[in-house]
Parts: sequence; structure tokens; C-alpha cells
Amino acid sequence: MRFKDQVYFVRENMKKNKMRIFMTVLATAMGTAFLIVLASVAFGLHGTLIKEILQQETINQVNIYGKEDAEGSGITDQDITYFESLDNVRAVKKSNRLDQAPQVVINDYAATADVVAVDFEALEKGGTTLQSGRYPRAANEVVVGVDFDQTLVEIGADDNAIYDEENERRATSYYQGKLVDQTLTMTIERQIDPDTFEEKAFPLTIVGVKEEPAEEWQRDQSVTISYALLQQFSDYTQTQNAALYPPDENMTFSYQEIALQSDNLEHVTALSETLNDEGYFAYSVAAELKQINLLFTIAKAGLVFIGTIAIIIASIGIFNTMTMAVTERAPDIGIMKAIGASPKTIKQIFLLESSFIGILGALIGTAVSYLISMLVNVGLPLILGTVFEDTVPEGFKFSSIPPSLVLIAFLICLIVTLVSGSRPAKKATRIDVLSALRREL
Amino acid sequence: MIEVKDLSHQFELGKKGKKTTIPVLKTVSFMINKGEIVTLVGRSGSGKSTLLHLISGFLPRQTGTIILNGQDVTGLTETAFSQFRLGTIGFIFQNFQLIQSMTAYQNVELPLILNGVSETARHVQTLNTLAKVGLEGFEHHYPSELSGGQQQRVSVARALVLNPLIILADEPTGSLDSETERDLLDLILELNATLHITFLIITHDEEVAAIGHRSLAMHDGQLIDGEVN
Repeated sequence: MRFKDQVYFVRENMKKNKMRIFMTVLATAMGTAFLIVLASVAFGLHGTLIKEILQQETINQVNIYGKEDAEGSGITDQDITYFESLDNVRAVKKSNRLDQAPQVVINDYAATADVVAVDFEALEKGGTTLQSGRYPRAANEVVVGVDFDQTLVEIGADDNAIYDEENERRATSYYQGKLVDQTLTMTIERQIDPDTFEEKAFPLTIVGVKEEPAEEWQRDQSVTISYALLQQFSDYTQTQNAALYPPDENMTFSYQEIALQSDNLEHVTALSETLNDEGYFAYSVAAELKQINLLFTIAKAGLVFIGTIAIIIASIGIFNTMTMAVTERAPDIGIMKAIGASPKTIKQIFLLESSFIGILGALIGTAVSYLISMLVNVGLPLILGTVFEDTVPEGFKFSSIPPSLVLIAFLICLIVTLVSGSRPAKKATRIDVLSALRREL
Repeated sequence: MIEVKDLSHQFELGKKGKKTTIPVLKTVSFMINKGEIVTLVGRSGSGKSTLLHLISGFLPRQTGTIILNGQDVTGLTETAFSQFRLGTIGFIFQNFQLIQSMTAYQNVELPLILNGVSETARHVQTLNTLAKVGLEGFEHHYPSELSGGQQQRVSVARALVLNPLIILADEPTGSLDSETERDLLDLILELNATLHITFLIITHDEEVAAIGHRSLAMHDGQLIDGEVN
């Protein structure tokens, strides 16, 4: 018997009991939809998280926070030389945070600044670009964060002019002038003895403004200086990173934060492992990504398993429907066998019928799942916004249905329906021709 | 065409431990030549139907040999026997045994579908066979919409559609009135004469028994008579 004819047969048989078939398909569709929607949450959240991580500039970086045998000396120039000698390292980004918050003044505006010293040459080599201006070339040149203007407050301005009723900064109170080429006076304090402090003003020039941070919610209000300028501040304070401590005669210099920029994302994990093996405390987002992927893979598998239970429950319906179909059609099966239908043909027809129910259920279930997924992605942020007054980041996806999930659901559905249909199909092949012809079944 | 050698069969009745065996066929042997119409007569319980069911393969053989069209079918598996049956044997039943949810056309088309015949060839063969049994215009009627005689003609058409070498008929006129019975017997004779199909017909009816070239009589599981009409 040709497959085309088997399909025709099955279609005709299914038409005979539309309501029962409809209910069974409905149960299968519900099971499939449950599986897909459940797992789609893990897929959605995973996708969003990965997207967030990949958006970060730091994805190609390995951060180093120290080394095991440093004995307090931290990361030194010797270590930097070693890092630069490693394969697949495009740039070694160094940074030290100033251990005091100096006052900065531009024209009539002042602020307390967050100052970070970096190796501008390494940044440029690493591909970090500026929004405007250029990288510093002299020690007294600095770049500022894109939100630096928001920290500046007009000297002597009334509080009401600066803050609104809700104690938020008024946009009109921000520094409105241009930043590049402006002179910025930074006042550095030093401690002579526990009770005596003095200060010195360093006139600097802003030569560039940094790019917007990767995340919408991040603010960059920092002032970035060169290591040469940090050295000038340390020479003045006689402390490491210009800390407000009494002068330290045994002061040694070490780098606070090191980020190795890899030439390729694929090399980041290997680089991270090499550094850890060498005794450095290395951390990379890419390595964390591996952990996240593993965690989400487990979560997805767990959710698919729970969803499969729903399909198994639906398969009880298929088993019931197919068993009833075999019982009802016993005389017809007997006639077919008497004419010459082989047990294999009879089995194929019934297995095909249960597969049809499964495929139809999976198709409807998938369509419904896409609809639910779409509604969840649109509706849940609205509900969260209305009920909890919480905003969801732009592009955040609660639910995502990749083709692989649809394929998994289809396969599970097909296997489960075939298994549940196999026993009734086997029963059909065992129908005794004579009993069937006598209508004894 | 049909050769039966030392065929015996017994039924087991009762539950485990209290089983009794009832012999229904006792070393039956006979031979039917190609193109013969042989009728098998005998009282109820004489073993006629069991013999037919053994030849059809509906019952598993216990002892003896059955050779159909030169092939020993006694050792065939269920699947192999199904395939053999489909291509070689046609059946006419007392109660027609038509699938009620199928039209006359679909019932006749069924053996062709099972044999994997293409749709176009099926269409031609089905219509020709229905015409052969005088059922033009009744193709789309369901069995419930046909008279007993017409239903039996559909059954004959279904048996004929794959051009079988043998037709086994179990009380083919048992559900028909005398006039329709005569029509059916004429049809059988015509098919035998034109297509040289071998017929083995079980009957109680003397009129039916008379159409055969030979008549075999059974009593108590044994062949008691082989008479040439």
C-alpha cells in the first residue's frame, strides 16, 4: 500500500470522528504549547542576558585583580611586560583610581570629581574611541566622561535653582558650555600630619569627551588622567594614588586594575585560564558566559522535561482515542485483513493516524506558543510598569522561541504520540479475521 | 489449482486444565483443477467452513498440506499469506462483508489500494469491474443504500477486481432471495466461462450446488462423496 493511499485512508478515518479527534488534537496542542512557552522563558532570558553581556565593551577583556605571590606589591611594570608578551593580547589597559575626590572647577562651575588614571596609549591601541576631541598627549591633558557636565554646579548658585521639589537635579543647572579645550583646575589635597592638610591647584586642559557607556542606565561622570599626572599628584601627596594619608616613605607603585584586551572573543577563555595558571586572579566575562550558558542549558533541559510531562498526559488521550478507533473499526480491519491487508499495513495506518494527531497538535501548539510568547513580551512589561511601576530595559525579552525549541517540541510530541499509538496499532494487527467478520469483537 | 492433502484440524474448548479437543477435520484430501467450479456441501458442523478458512489462511493450519496455484502455502507467514491472498484469492461472503463507511466504488477499490495500484489505473479497473457486475451508476452508493443483491455484486466486484485465480465463496446466496440468487449464480457461471476463475463454493442450497462442475460432500469432518454433476 502506497504512503499516499495510507494518508488518504487516515484522513478518511479521522473525518469519521471529528469531535473525538479534535479533543485529542486540542490536548496535544495544549501540551506542546505548555512545553514551548515554559522553555521559551529560559530561552528568552538567556538570550537577553547574552545580548546584554555581548553589548559590553568588556566582553573581549580579561580583568586581573592581583596575583597570588604578590606580597602586597600588586601588579607591577614587570607583570605588564609579561602580559604584553602574551599571544592574542591586543592591548593591556591599566587603571588606578585616585584615592581622593578632588574639587574641579571650569569657569564658574565646580564639582567633586571621580578621577581615574589610565594608559591612554593602550586605550587607543585597544580600539576605545572618544565621542569628541582627542586623546591626551601631555601630562596636563585630560578627558572627561560624557555625563561630566551634569556633576558641575554653578558656584554660589541657590539650591532651588539646582534641585527641583523632588530633590532631582534641574537640567538647567547643568554646565551648558563646551568641555573640549576648557581649562579645568583640579585641587589636590595632601596630609602633612594627622591634623594638617594643604592643597595645590593643578591647571589641566580637557582635550576629549568619552563615548556613552554601553548600558543606557550607566553614567560616566569621571575625569580620566594620565599616569604621568597621577605621578605628579603622588609626588605632591607622597602617597600611592594620592591617598589622603600622611606621607609614606616606603611608597611603592602598583596597578590597581588591569584589563587585557584580547584580539578575539574565542581566545578570551584560554587567556583567562593561562593567567589563572600563572597565579594571577583573572576574571573574564567570556568565562562567566560559559557558566551562564551551562546554567541556562540545565534550566532549559529541566523546563523541557516538565513540558514533556504535559505532552505525556496528552498522550493518554491519544492512546484512548486510538484504542477506541481500533475497537470501533475492528470489523473493517477484519475485512481488510481478509482481503489481503498485511499486519504491517494495518499497523502503519494506525501509527500514521496517531502521528497525524501528534503533528497537528504540535503545529497548533507551536502557533499558539508564538502568540502567547508575543503577548508575554508585549504585555508583561506593560503589567510590570502599571502594577509595580517598574520599567523593563529596552529590548528585554521574557520569552523567545528559537527554531531549535520548535524542533525539540515536535520531536518529543512525535515520539510520545508514536509510543502512545503503538499499542493500539499492535492491537489492530492482532485482530482475528474470523472473529471480526462475525462481529464478535 | 487447489490441492489439499491430509488436512486435519481440531478446536480446543474450555479453560486451562479442563480443555477438551473437538476434531472438526479428519485427514481431508482433495484437488480442484484450474477453471473448475466445485461446490462443498454438508450439514452444519460438518467442517465445510473450517476447511474454507484453512484454505484462506484465516485459521492456522495444524496438520496437512495446502497447495494453491502450485505454491505450498502451509508454511507462509501471516504477512506472506496476506500478500499471496491479495494477489491470488478473491472472497465472497454470505453477509457481503462490505465496509459500511465506504461507497461501492471505495469498497471495490480497496484491494487495488492494498496492492499499491496507481490512482489512474485504479479508477479504470474499479469502474470496469463494477460495470462487469452490472453496477454502473451505483458507484457512489453506500452499502446501506443498496439492496442485498446489489451488495453481493459489490462483494463479487471486490473479489474480482485484482483478477484472482481462485474465488472462495462462503454461502454466497445465503442472504439473497431466489431471484437475486439466480442472477448471482448466472454471474458466477459467466465469470467462470469468460475468465476461467476457479470457484470453491460452500453451500446448503441444492440449486447452488448444481452449478458446480463437481460437488464435494462433507460429514463429520470427512469428505464422504465427490460427485461430478
